[in-house]
Amino acid sequence: MKRGLAVYAVGAYAFLHVPLLILAVFSFNSSRFAVWQGFSLQWYRAVAADGNLIEASVNSLLIAIAATTAATIVGTLAAYGLWKRGSAWLSGSMYLSLVTPEIVTGASLLALFQWIFRFLHLRLGMHTVILAHVGFSLAYVVVVVLARLRSFDRTLEEAALDLGATEFGAFWSVTLPYLGPAIAAAAMLAFTVSIDDYVITSLVAGVDSQTLPMVIYALARRGVNPALNAVSTLIVVGLGVLIMLSERLRRA
Amino acid sequence: MKLRNAFLAPSAVLMTLTMMAPLAIIVVYSLLTRGAYGGVELPWTVENFTRLWDPVYGAIFLRSLGIAGVATVLCLVLGFPLAMFIAGSGPRKNLYLSLVILPFWTSFLIRTYAWMFILRDTGIVNSVLQSLGIIREPLPLLYNDGAVILGLVYGFLPFMVLPLYATLERLDPNLLEASADLGARPWETVVRVTLPLCAPGIRAGAILVFVPCLGTYLTSDLLGGSKTVLIGNLVQNQFTASRDWPFGAALSLALMAIAMLLLFAARRKGEELL
Amino acid sequence: MNRRTFLIGAGSAVACSRGPRLNVFNWSDYVAPDTIPNFEREFGLTVRYGTYESVPEMLAKVMSGNSGWDVIFPSAEYIQPMRDMGLLGQLRHEWLPNLGNLGPQFQQPPWDPGLDWSVPYMHGATGVVFQQNLGWTPRAWSDLWDARLAGKLTMLDDPPEVFAACLKTLGYSLNSADPGELRAAQQRAIAQKPLVRAYLNAEVRDQLVAGDVAAAEAWAVTAAQAIAAAPDRLAFVFPAEGFPRYADNVAILRESSHMEAAHRFLNYLLRPQVAAAIVETTRTATCNGEAQRFLPAALRSDPVLYPSPEILARGEWFAPQSAASQRLRDRLWTEIKST
Repeated sequence: MKRGLAVYAVGAYAFLHVPLLILAVFSFNSSRFAVWQGFSLQWYRAVAADGNLIEASVNSLLIAIAATTAATIVGTLAAYGLWKRGSAWLSGSMYLSLVTPEIVTGASLLALFQWIFRFLHLRLGMHTVILAHVGFSLAYVVVVVLARLRSFDRTLEEAALDLGATEFGAFWSVTLPYLGPAIAAAAMLAFTVSIDDYVITSLVAGVDSQTLPMVIYALARRGVNPALNAVSTLIVVGLGVLIMLSERLRRA
Repeated sequence: MKLRNAFLAPSAVLMTLTMMAPLAIIVVYSLLTRGAYGGVELPWTVENFTRLWDPVYGAIFLRSLGIAGVATVLCLVLGFPLAMFIAGSGPRKNLYLSLVILPFWTSFLIRTYAWMFILRDTGIVNSVLQSLGIIREPLPLLYNDGAVILGLVYGFLPFMVLPLYATLERLDPNLLEASADLGARPWETVVRVTLPLCAPGIRAGAILVFVPCLGTYLTSDLLGGSKTVLIGNLVQNQFTASRDWPFGAALSLALMAIAMLLLFAARRKGEELL
Repeated sequence: MNRRTFLIGAGSAVACSRGPRLNVFNWSDYVAPDTIPNFEREFGLTVRYGTYESVPEMLAKVMSGNSGWDVIFPSAEYIQPMRDMGLLGQLRHEWLPNLGNLGPQFQQPPWDPGLDWSVPYMHGATGVVFQQNLGWTPRAWSDLWDARLAGKLTMLDDPPEVFAACLKTLGYSLNSADPGELRAAQQRAIAQKPLVRAYLNAEVRDQLVAGDVAAAEAWAVTAAQAIAAAPDRLAFVFPAEGFPRYADNVAILRESSHMEAAHRFLNYLLRPQVAAAIVETTRTATCNGEAQRFLPAALRSDPVLYPSPEILARGEWFAPQSAASQRLRDRLWTEIKST
């Protein structure tokens, strides 16, 4: 059974990583078309020289980190609150946020912001993008964390309360540690939906908040651009190395 | 109970601002008349909803439900063993979990272009098969429903694996051993013990896969060659090329209503919604 | 391009304090890398430069009238609608001495004959790009219904373009709003669908170069790029029945509070050297007649980007559609896609 699972996992990881491998290979292609012509580093030079691409990548990472942090904290608290006792308004709005098509979320948020900005002297920018991202990634966090809470033994928390812990103390020292793996998984999902969003972002972005997906869609409108392969490879390798390092540190 | 309210307050404020207020705007839009070049105008009308009673749109809804359903089932079947593997991999589980999500930190468009490169006539699969002499003419792998479903399964697999992992991880190995000691075969243990215990995770995963799949539009454009429309495409078109925001809003409300109905239907009696 | 570092919020506040600032909202990939920096240096202005991917996206942002943008680049068929909505500011010709540099056919364009609201910027056309080893040469839209192309043909994923090709094979105007003509065009599109491999826009470029696609309805810009990559295999034809032409224009929003700076920017873009430098980067067709002299010969004589006047005479400009016609077209398009 165990060996069977391991063999299956190798296949599954191959499936998930095949496209990455391909774009990594083509980021070293000397042709701009998807036909192999020879090894070249020209696309990496193109990325290094493109201030726009770098600025957008940094913007994307900043937005994703800010939105993930906020959504994970707020979402975990909300999941805990909902687990204690349901709230039709909140769980209803969570579900609605999952079922709303992106373009509709984007267009209606833009309309809302434009209406508010008539009264406040504000403009679209990083703040509106981050707010939108927290909004649409919140439901993902709540769904994942709540799924784990559903299998939590309430008596453990009650025991802590009986032993004199405050309500918050019981949450902090008993429930929260139990939620760890779900919070990690939820944060990863939130980061993923944030860093990959194009439709909503492009509608609520101002000028100083161009993100990587926006630049990528702009470049791709003219067909495949190998500089994009190079940027993706750099991001995946960079984050991959970070993950490996943190894993090493944690275990050391 | 005070603590609960304090915990719910931030998300209630956020969801009101980023979900409920925009939703109110959408409802208002759906009851107005289209501006000639986008936007909305008076007078009020319900015509955008009466237009929905049309077999063309009904067929598109059914098709979208079917494709989202197939993709969700495939994600569950493919994702469950992977989640079991990760949950059972001891100290390395965080690493393995990251490896599931890592490919998704590249842009959707770039991943999809990579799949197009694999599937197209002069792509890797066809080239290899042709050079091995297995086929002579390239197989039409791209631009059909199969390619769309492949794209959806690939794109949403982590949305199934992560919630499954989050519930599987707490499964007591002793429980599984007990099952084995009592003479159950491994697959019996999975069906009788593991599956029922991680039902909340399966439900969460199914929601996170099915619902976004239902509203998808780029995958069907890029891997399906835009040869068919799904509801997502229809809504997208109203807000862009067709510039008919009120009808787009009505379509979207219909889509949201159907999805909500399905979610309510899927929950078991007496259970909380989420 | 704007090189200011990303400082959340603070970035824009800093820029605000530094003298007059112009806010330019353009299609992506539509200026040369040094176009904006050179302008900033010469005129001592700061430019906030943003890009969009489609006119609806741009319209959604500027329609509220408080978007903060000054200069935008609408397509020709949107000039009249945007005027009707009161979004455009009237141009002052005394501030635009370089207007005379426009090519003769853009001195009085049909969508804005007096150049009161817009200045033509780039133009293009739609036609057929094909592999030369087909064994036969497509010359007309109707050749795209040839069964020999089955599975190797792509059409644009853009309703006005597909309707244009179908309407032209029937001898109708591509801007037709006549329900009978549109239904006939829809039947043409449905009849063609079994042959169609996919509906693709710019993505078709790579598949033409790789050889997956034998013939495609394509924008001249896309075709020119594909042909440049495989000049001995690919060719382009402006279909015999007539073909769509489009133009993007520069315009100033009425909400702009930097009218003079905006006019300076428009006048700067009209300089032949500036226009030529932009074309060398973007590989599009400029509306600036004087810029031709500054273009490399290969680009200036590219028959796909700059066809002869006789060929261009067969072209027809896209015009705005009424709400009713737009709605019928959308419905018919949904049916084409659902069959």
